Amino acid sequence: MALTLTRFFQPKKTVMYPEAKPDIPPRNRGRLELVTDERGTLKCETCFQCAQACPIECIDMGGVDTKGRYAVHWGPAEQYAERREESAMRRSGRTVSDAAAAQESSIDLGAVEAALERVDYDPHHMLQILESVQRAYGYLPVDALKRISRATGAWYAMVYGTATFYKHLTFEPGRNRTIAVCRCANCLVAGAGRVINTLSFEFGTEFGQAIPWSNLRLEALATHLPDAPSPLVVIDGEPQRELSSRNAESWAAALAGRYAA
Amino acid sequence: MTPPATPWSALHAALAAGGAATAQTLIDAGLRGRGGGGFLTGEKWRTTASSESDRRYAVANAYESDPAVFANRLLVEKNALGVVEGLAIAALSVGAREAFIGIRAEYSDAIRALEAVVASAERDGILGPNVVGSGRELLIRVVPLQGSSMIGEETVLLKALAGKRGQPEQTPPYPSSVGYLGKPTAVNNVATLAAVPWILSNGAAAFRQIGDPAEPGTVLVQVSGSVANAGVLEVPTGTPLAEILAVAGGAASGATIKALLVGGPSGGFVPTQLLASTPYSGAGLATVGAHIGSGALLAVDGSVSIPELAAMLTRWCADEACGKTIPCRIGTRRLAEIGQRFVDGLAGPDDGERLHALAADVADSALCAHERLTPSPLLTGMRYFKQEFYPAGVAQSGGAVAGRSS
Repeated sequence: MALTLTRFFQPKKTVMYPEAKPDIPPRNRGRLELVTDERGTLKCETCFQCAQACPIECIDMGGVDTKGRYAVHWGPAEQYAERREESAMRRSGRTVSDAAAAQESSIDLGAVEAALERVDYDPHHMLQILESVQRAYGYLPVDALKRISRATGAWYAMVYGTATFYKHLTFEPGRNRTIAVCRCANCLVAGAGRVINTLSFEFGTEFGQAIPWSNLRLEALATHLPDAPSPLVVIDGEPQRELSSRNAESWAAALAGRYAA
Repeated sequence: MTPPATPWSALHAALAAGGAATAQTLIDAGLRGRGGGGFLTGEKWRTTASSESDRRYAVANAYESDPAVFANRLLVEKNALGVVEGLAIAALSVGAREAFIGIRAEYSDAIRALEAVVASAERDGILGPNVVGSGRELLIRVVPLQGSSMIGEETVLLKALAGKRGQPEQTPPYPSSVGYLGKPTAVNNVATLAAVPWILSNGAAAFRQIGDPAEPGTVLVQVSGSVANAGVLEVPTGTPLAEILAVAGGAASGATIKALLVGGPSGGFVPTQLLASTPYSGAGLATVGAHIGSGALLAVDGSVSIPELAAMLTRWCADEACGKTIPCRIGTRRLAEIGQRFVDGLAGPDDGERLHALAADVADSALCAHERLTPSPLLTGMRYFKQEFYPAGVAQSGGAVAGRSS
């Protein structure tokens, strides 16, 4: 009762918001809070992008999947033992334990080991490693890339980045059949541009894409073959000598009959 | 292009003279990089040698980016010895113990020729752990590369050699201070390196006598298109374009040449009236909007539509862009689309202006020569063949969107 009476005669703390506004320090961000969606589920996926962006490293978090919802805690996640996945741990700068990284591979990685052995597990020979893996499997399996990343110490993102940049490396099995059109200056003068337009129209595809009704792909030829005519179109390494910019339409129609799936 | 008369004598001379003196000889000779940059080769080596580092590298660039250009392949096949000797001299002058030759994997004959030269030199004790008894070590490795036409750019070549994604780096710092694995690296085109043994054997003064005094020496040009004798020629720098065309036999029978495309897919069109007055040299070509580039000359005859060819070339450049800078990834594609609108007769009244503004932005933001030069075919086409971009009866500015009726 004494407290009530004391407070009663003190000045009022209430601010008539929004007519009057309290004096807030310019750097005050209020209470940090996670956003929820309309059903009340937390939208945070513990992707760590905010933690990474935070310049003074005051944000950290952890999360577990409980009945389809993520329960997110503030603070170092290790104390809850709940980092969710390998990539999240990598992004937050934690080392990944071997148990998390070592997964059973569904393919035989013998060829990968041989390729790694040849260059002494040196990540600077990444192109040679990837090329010999592709020679062995016909494409680059994801398990092989993971194994390469773990054995050489190169980040998976860098292995993947190298593999996606160079056009002769592929992630798709069975991409061995191609219709390649040369786009050197000579071929362009001889009408390669019109041939490309005709072929992509007749095959219903875009230049550089697979042809929907077959296992062929319409793409650019890396380099003009010696003694080959212009415009040069190559199917599976075989130059097509009877094609010119004038008969491209009928040629494409004949081809459609031969390769229909 | 002729192999050295007395193999490895230039290497002995360079070892006796020392790295600094060799670099000075090349500066006196005025040898400039043949890869397009046009830096003084001796200056480059001197920077590499003087950069503070525990190890240095030397790299020969034999990766020809442009499709169907064979000048360097021919050079390596005919004169693998000169290239390897030049690279060995470069490596010893800058203090490198390891050197690489980056070459297109498709050039199997050239790769075999290089590997044979390196293997026999190692067997004879010329290369290897003890270079001609000097106690210095030099290992040369031939690295076949493929998969992207950007590898011809020097910083991309270094990335590809290190097994990374092939995207260029901002320069400076140049590879001569930060190169392969972050170490100082001398990167030279094979055509530059092939000239080095000749200079050391015949003297800097003799080299200065050849060609344009500002950038002396000879260059390889590949002439193709509608000429009587297509092929690769070795000409002194500064030779007028008309003379090169005459050596190649002039126009093919029945054809009238209306322009030369100088410098490959990102080169510039030079119209016939300028051929006699334009010398084939870096400075001379720059004034007409072209460049030496890969050394390709394409004779374009009257049957070819310049806008169509220019748009297709720009499209090729856009497809080959590595995507590191956004003006290159998206801007070049828009350039190709604007060019295509001119081809289809759908160009709006502002498209010419838009093309020039976008081309200026693309060139200004360039990390590497690919982006800087991509607008050249469209720009030079616009400059010299305006009537083909704007056929008669189409308004150039103002009014409704103009369309070609036929």
